[in-house]
Amino acid sequence: MIVSPRQPPPRRKPLVPIVIGAIVLLGVVAVLASRGSNTHKDASGSTTGTTSASGSASVSAGAEQQPVTITGDNLPDLPATGTTDAAVGTKLAEIHGKTFAGDGLDIVADGTPKVIFFVAHWCPHCQREVPLIVDWIKQSGEPQGVGLYAVATSTTPQRPNYPPSSWLTRTGWPVPTIADDAKGTAANAVGLTGFPFFVATSGDGTVVARRSGELTVSELEQLVAAARSAGGSAP
Amino acid sequence: MTTDAATLLFAILAVAAEAVVVGTLALWLVARRSAFARYRALVGPDGLTLAFVVAAVATGGSLYLSEVAHFTPCRLCWFQRAFMYPLVPVLGIAAWRRAVGLRTVAIPMAVIGATISAYHVLVERYPNLESNVCDPNTPCTAIWFQRFGYLTIPAMALSAFALIVTLLLLSTHQQGE
Repeated sequence: MIVSPRQPPPRRKPLVPIVIGAIVLLGVVAVLASRGSNTHKDASGSTTGTTSASGSASVSAGAEQQPVTITGDNLPDLPATGTTDAAVGTKLAEIHGKTFAGDGLDIVADGTPKVIFFVAHWCPHCQREVPLIVDWIKQSGEPQGVGLYAVATSTTPQRPNYPPSSWLTRTGWPVPTIADDAKGTAANAVGLTGFPFFVATSGDGTVVARRSGELTVSELEQLVAAARSAGGSAP
Repeated sequence: MTTDAATLLFAILAVAAEAVVVGTLALWLVARRSAFARYRALVGPDGLTLAFVVAAVATGGSLYLSEVAHFTPCRLCWFQRAFMYPLVPVLGIAAWRRAVGLRTVAIPMAVIGATISAYHVLVERYPNLESNVCDPNTPCTAIWFQRFGYLTIPAMALSAFALIVTLLLLSTHQQGE
């Protein structure tokens, strides 16, 4: 009787070396594809380069961080919702800073009530709040008797939507804006605990209210009304 | 390797992972049983080793993004790391010892990790899902980068977890099992 030899199983292709080789090859392709690219991808997936921002009177391209000095004491951190804010009724330190373009801009007790916005370019809540404020000002105009200011803080080149000057210019941001320094001196002065952050003061620099997180137009108007009703007494 | 090149590589790998997961699912649902059996016979014996490679690459990528690119991990990133990093030794030992039984440990870990990744992707898309304020230090809502219009870091992690689950489900003790 003739016994046919058992067929050996077909040889399989070695998958693991092929996969590892493919990963290495893709690494080379990625290096070649990104060579010479000097751009930064923002959060929306669009590409922003180092082109200068232009157009807005309030935001101009330049250094994204500028020196900031304060005169006075830092406010305590804003407590959690539902707790009394110990900073209300105390004086806000005077903030001496510069715009992105390097022009001096001070937030001081000059007799005018103020609402100050603190925004971070990488924060999606700020990215939603800024256009809302722009539209609100476009529709209602600058609030009578209350000065609006902003501080662009927590500026980090590695984070999305950088640089903040380009972002604010794209939105048509009309509010005079201080570029905070790397230490966040202006943010620390107001006891910032989250973004976006809002501080309302009376004309003599007394804190009337602080808020953290996205606000509706109605809440913004309440903040402005609180600053206005606190008075515009001379410092 | 620059951060730009690294993120491009991770994105390409994530797309490849998604293609394998979707292709496997389509084959399982649509193709004849014999065709799926042939596919499983091809991939299954190396399933554990390939899953280990995926976990190792994902862990390496995660460490690159935090330690080299300086993308600070947020709270949800750490939760995902807690499920991805241990998969490297677990799957490494499983592949080395041919211990397919360790799938019962690895699959739940990968499924939980994938669930956290999916939630993180939702938080990125809908920032108000968790709160209406950004943590000034390490916000989970911030999108460090986005590739191909949709691939963020947690989306890539989700792809890796899904591929690991797929490979583990395909894995077999030996050829032809």
